Amino acid sequence: MPVTDLLQSVALFSGLTAEELEAVAGICVERHYPAGSTIIQQGDMGDEMYVIQSGQVDILLVGYRSERPVVVLGKGQILGEMSLVDHGYRSATARATEPTAVQVLRRDDFTSLCERDTHIGYVVMRNLAADISFKLRHQHLATM
Amino acid sequence: MIYKVSYVVRGGSHPGAILDAETVPQVGDTVTFGGQVFRIVEVMELMPSRAGFGFLHATCVPVQEIGDEEA
Repeated sequence: MPVTDLLQSVALFSGLTAEELEAVAGICVERHYPAGSTIIQQGDMGDEMYVIQSGQVDILLVGYRSERPVVVLGKGQILGEMSLVDHGYRSATARATEPTAVQVLRRDDFTSLCERDTHIGYVVMRNLAADISFKLRHQHLATM
Repeated sequence: MIYKVSYVVRGGSHPGAILDAETVPQVGDTVTFGGQVFRIVEVMELMPSRAGFGFLHATCVPVQEIGDEEA
């Protein structure tokens, strides 16, 4: 599947033109993870955001002796976005529960693109805020 | 339209999932995540739709639990 087809089906990139999607696709790198492998390790520094192309990913909060699943993310969802925005440590571990393919966006590439093309920057940042809002709403409902 | 769906499992036995769907999930449909099968018991809009994307919330129960309830 062409990367632009995937990006077109991802809410994070809704509102971008075909040319803008091409520009985003230009900074994406495809990566594959076997089932059970770790994509993100809680506590690490992170400079990448991931768009799930296929597969499913468990998001886990890791304690001293145990880990607590927070949510399962599927195709079209993004992970790693918090560190991309706030430059902080990874807040959770992400582990592939089945063979999983992702598109990787590195912070420097993503920031440069947003600064070069402010419409892309505005649209994607707006959608990123909406995605974080959606996840917060999900967490609120999940903890009721 | 693509629907981003927040699936929450009733009773808190599973943390739930966020998955995309090509059609609006319906009550009675089954969905698989985290290696388990769940049946949807409620669907509502979570956020207004925008730019070809709908944002929904679905409450579901493990299929095994439905079997337990019917037994």
